[in-house]
Amino acid sequence: MSLRRYLRRREWDEERQRELDAHLEEETADNVARGMAPGEARRRAYMKLGNPTTIREEIWKMNSFVPVEDLGRDIRYALRQLWKSPGFAAIAMVTLALGIGVNTAIFSMVNGLMFSSLHIRQENRVLEIGSRQRGAQWQPQFSLAEYEVLHSQTSELFSGVVGDAYGLDGLSMEGNKPDRAFTDYVTGDYFEVLGVEPYLGRLFHAGEGMTPGADPVVVLSYPYWKQHFAADPNVVGKHVLLDGQPMTVVGVTAKDYHGVNTALTPQAYLPLAMIVPIENTPLSEYHKPTNRNLRLYARLKPGVTKVQANATLEVVSRRIAVEQPVADKDVELSSFGLWVGRNAGFDPDNAIGEVAWFILGLAGLVLLLACVNVANLLLVRATVREREMVIRSALGAARSRLIRQMLTESILLALCGGVAGIGLGLWGSHMLSSINLGTDLPLHFDFGFDWHVLAFSMVVAVVAGALVGIVPSLRLARANLNLVLREGGRGIAGSGHRFRDALVMVQVGSAMILLVIAGLFTRSLTQSEHAELGFNPANVITMMMDPGEIGYTDPRARDFYKELLQKVRALPGVKAATIAQIVPMGVVGNGGDTISVGGYQPPVGQSAPVVLYNLTATDYFATLGIPMKQGRDFGVGDDDGRPYVAIVSEAMVKEYWPHGDAIGQKFTMNSDPAHPLQVVGVARDARYQGFRQAMPPYFYLPFAQHYTGNSLETLEVRTEGDPGGMAPLLERAINDMAPNLPVFDVKTLHQALYSPNGLLLFQIIATLAGVMGTLGMVLAIVGVYGVLSYVVSQRTSEIGVRMALGAGRGDILKIVYKQGMWIVGIGLSVGLAASFGIAHLLHSLIVVSPGDPATYVGVSAMLAAIAMLACYIPARRAMYVEPMRALRD
Amino acid sequence: MIRSKKEQELLLGTLDMLILQTLVMGPAHGHTIAHVIEHTSEDVLQIEQGSLYPALHRLEDREWVSSYWGTSENNRKARFYKLTAAGRKQLRAETHRWQSMVEAIGRVLGNAGKVVE
Repeated sequence: MSLRRYLRRREWDEERQRELDAHLEEETADNVARGMAPGEARRRAYMKLGNPTTIREEIWKMNSFVPVEDLGRDIRYALRQLWKSPGFAAIAMVTLALGIGVNTAIFSMVNGLMFSSLHIRQENRVLEIGSRQRGAQWQPQFSLAEYEVLHSQTSELFSGVVGDAYGLDGLSMEGNKPDRAFTDYVTGDYFEVLGVEPYLGRLFHAGEGMTPGADPVVVLSYPYWKQHFAADPNVVGKHVLLDGQPMTVVGVTAKDYHGVNTALTPQAYLPLAMIVPIENTPLSEYHKPTNRNLRLYARLKPGVTKVQANATLEVVSRRIAVEQPVADKDVELSSFGLWVGRNAGFDPDNAIGEVAWFILGLAGLVLLLACVNVANLLLVRATVREREMVIRSALGAARSRLIRQMLTESILLALCGGVAGIGLGLWGSHMLSSINLGTDLPLHFDFGFDWHVLAFSMVVAVVAGALVGIVPSLRLARANLNLVLREGGRGIAGSGHRFRDALVMVQVGSAMILLVIAGLFTRSLTQSEHAELGFNPANVITMMMDPGEIGYTDPRARDFYKELLQKVRALPGVKAATIAQIVPMGVVGNGGDTISVGGYQPPVGQSAPVVLYNLTATDYFATLGIPMKQGRDFGVGDDDGRPYVAIVSEAMVKEYWPHGDAIGQKFTMNSDPAHPLQVVGVARDARYQGFRQAMPPYFYLPFAQHYTGNSLETLEVRTEGDPGGMAPLLERAINDMAPNLPVFDVKTLHQALYSPNGLLLFQIIATLAGVMGTLGMVLAIVGVYGVLSYVVSQRTSEIGVRMALGAGRGDILKIVYKQGMWIVGIGLSVGLAASFGIAHLLHSLIVVSPGDPATYVGVSAMLAAIAMLACYIPARRAMYVEPMRALRD
Repeated sequence: MIRSKKEQELLLGTLDMLILQTLVMGPAHGHTIAHVIEHTSEDVLQIEQGSLYPALHRLEDREWVSSYWGTSENNRKARFYKLTAAGRKQLRAETHRWQSMVEAIGRVLGNAGKVVE
C-alpha cells in the first residue's frame, strides 16, 4: 500500500461506499427482474454482498499501518492517563530525571576522561609503549637512546614510532613579557604518524627535530593561537621567542586536537632536539641513558595485532638491555591502549580511571533506587487501575495489548524523565567541568556532550522505562483477571505485597551502600586533612618561576635566585624564605633516581631502588617547618666548588643505615656517579604525595650544587601574617629584578594541599558520593513511607475490626511498626553485608579501613532512625482509624 | 470461516485468479465480475460474502488492475476494473501454477483411486 493512499483513505472510503451502493442497486434490480418483491430483493442483495460496513472497514485497514496506528493510540491514551494524574506523573518524572541526570553527568566525566575522541586517525591502531625495570611498576618514560632502538627495530611492526617530551617555557612576541606555555617537544614525524592535520600552515616534517638547534620552528595549538594570538590568520611566518630563543611560527594544529594526554593540553609544539637550546639542556644530558622523559607512541601496521607487537617488543627489550647494560639491564617493554595512559602515566596509584568507574557504579545504584521507586508507584497505580484493566480485558482486549499499553506508559514516563535528566546531566557535567583545579596549567577537564553521552543517556532512559514498566506488566500478565472481577478489585494487591516489600528492601539496602561509601570517603578526607604531614602548611606562600623562560643561563638563574632570596628575607613580615623544586602535592612531578648505597644490596630479583628527592636552597626546613633530627641544614658554603652533600629523611635512614649513624655516610645517584653525596643531616619524614601510603625514603640536595637544567623553581615563604597578602609584594620583588619573568601557580601551601595531586580528588569523590548518598536515602525513605502508607490504606478495615474487638492504639502501632521494621531491618542487613564487600574492593582508594566501625554504626543508626520516622506517619494514621467508619467503608 | 493463514492464502489466490480471468474479456464492474464467475462456473463457485471488494482493492494495490468510473449497461454509475499488463502476466503465471497443481493433485488422486479399487 502506498502513503498516498493512506493519506487519501477517507476519500477512498467514500468512493468504496458509492461503489458498494451501486453494486447493491444492480443486484436488487436483478432480483426484482427475477420477480422478487422490492424488499426481499434488497435483503437478498445485502445477504449476497455481505455487510458493506465490514467490507469498508477491511479496505480501510488495508490502507493503514495498523501497528503504527496502535502505537499512536497507545501513546495518546498514555498521555491522557498521565495528564489525569499529574501528581503521579510529576513525581515519577522527577525521580527518573534525577536518576538519569546523575548517570548522564557522571558518564560525561568518564567519557571525557577515557573515551572521548582524541581526534587522531584510527585511534585504536595507536599504542603507547611502556617499560619497567624487572619487578618495578610500568612507566611511560624513555631515554633518547631507547627511542632510537625502538624506532629502528620495529619497522616491520609499526608504521611509525614517535615520541614527545613536555616542557614549560616562556613564549613571547618580540619585546613583550612572555607567557608561560606548556610545550610539547615532538619527533618530526609525530603529527604525520598520529594523523593530525594543520589548521593553518604546516606541521613538522620527518627530518625535523633530529639535530639540536637546527629547526627553529614552532607549531601552536588551536586554543592557544585563539587566546594568545587573537586567532591571527597571518600568524604563519611570525617570529616569537621561546625562553629567549628566536623561532618562527609555521602552523597551527587542527581545531579539535588536544594532544594524546586528555588532561594536559600542550599549547605549543616544538621539534624534539630544540629542547637542547631552548631549555639549556647540555648535549651530554640530552643523550644520557638515564634521562628518561620521552613518551612513546606507535602506530600498528595494517594487519599487525597487539599480541604480535608485544612479542616483538620483548625481543627489542633484550636488545636494549645489551646496548644499555647499565641503565637497562632488566628492562621489559609492553604496549598499552592510549586510554591507559591518557590521564597520567601507568602508575596504579593514579586512580582517576578507577575512581571514575566507581562513581559511575554509584550513579547506577541511584538509578536503580529511582527505578524501584517509580516501579512501586506504578504498582500502586496498577492496583487502582485493576478494574479498568479487567473491564477492558472483558471487552476483548488481548492481554498482550494491555501489557503493551502499560509499557508504553512507563517508557513514555522514562523518556520525559530522560529528557529532563539529560538537561540535569548537562548542568551537572558543566558543574564538574568547572571544578577549580587550583592550578595555572592548561588542564583540559571539559566534559562536553558528544554522541557517546547522548546515546548513553537515551539507552539509560529506555532501559529505566522498561525496567520500571515490566514489574506491573508482569504482574498483570500473571494475574487471574476473573478472580479480580469477582473479588471486587482486591485480587492482585492482596496477593503480592511481598514483592513490593522486596523492592523496598532493595532500596534500603542500596541506600545503605551509597551512604556507607559516602561515609568512608568523608571520613578519609577528614582523616587526611588531619594527617601528620611532617611539615606545617599554615602561613606559607608559594610561587613558581623559571628564569630560563626569559633566556637566563643556568649560572645566571642561580645568581638570580640567590639575590632574590636575600631581598625577600629582608622584607617585613617574612619569617623564612627558600626555593625548592618540589612543592608537597604540587603539580611538578617528583624527581627521582636510582641510588647506590655503600653496603646495601637490593632484595634478590629487584633492581636498584628509585628514591625521590628535592632540590632546595638554604632555610628550606625552617620555611616548611620540618624539624631537623640530626646534623645540619644546607649552608651558603654548599656550592658546586665543595663536596656534594645531602640531607636524608628518617625513612631513608631506617631503610639504608638501620644500625649506624647516617651522618657522614655516602651514596650516589646513578645519573651522576662522579659526585658521591655525603649525608650531613637527617630531617623528619614529610608527605610529598598521597595520604595513604607510609612515607617513602626521601632526600634533599642543595640547589647551589645542582642548578644545571633546574631553573624551574618555587619560591616558598613563611610569613608572619596572612600568606596570601604577601603575594603581590613578593611578585613585585621578583619583577623588580627581572621585569619580564612570568610568575605562576601562586598559592598558599594550604591551597596546594587541595590540589589535584593532594586532597582534591578525595574532596570531589566525597562530595559526589555524599550527594548520591543523600539522594539514595531520600528515595529509599520515600519508598518505605509509600509502601507502609499503602499497606495501612489496604488494611484499614482490618484495623477497624481489631479496634472494634478491643485492640488499643498501641497494639495497632506495633502491628504497623512490625511490618515496617521487618522491611527496613532486612534491607539494612543486606545493605550492610553488600557495602562491606564493596568497601573492601575500594581499599586502595580510601584512607580509613574498609571496615571503619564509625562509618557503619553511624550510617546504620542514621538510616534506621530516619526509617522509623518514615514509618511513624502511616502508623499514626493507622492508630487514629475510626473503627466505625472503617467498618462502614 | 478461514482458519489458517495458509488456507487463506490459497483461497485468496484463487479468487484473485478468477477475477483476473474474468477481466480478460474486457473491463467490468464488481457486480458483473461476481455474476460472470458464478455463471461461468454454473453456480458451483460462490464468492464468499464480503470478499470480492477487498480482493479488487488488493489487486489494484498490486497494480494488476486499474479502475475508473463509468456507466453500466443499466445506465448506472459504476466502478469499472481493467486488466493491466502486469495483471495479464500475473494471470498467466497463476494459471500455469494452478494447472500444474491440478495435474499433480489429479495424479495423486488417480493413484489413490486405484488403491481404493
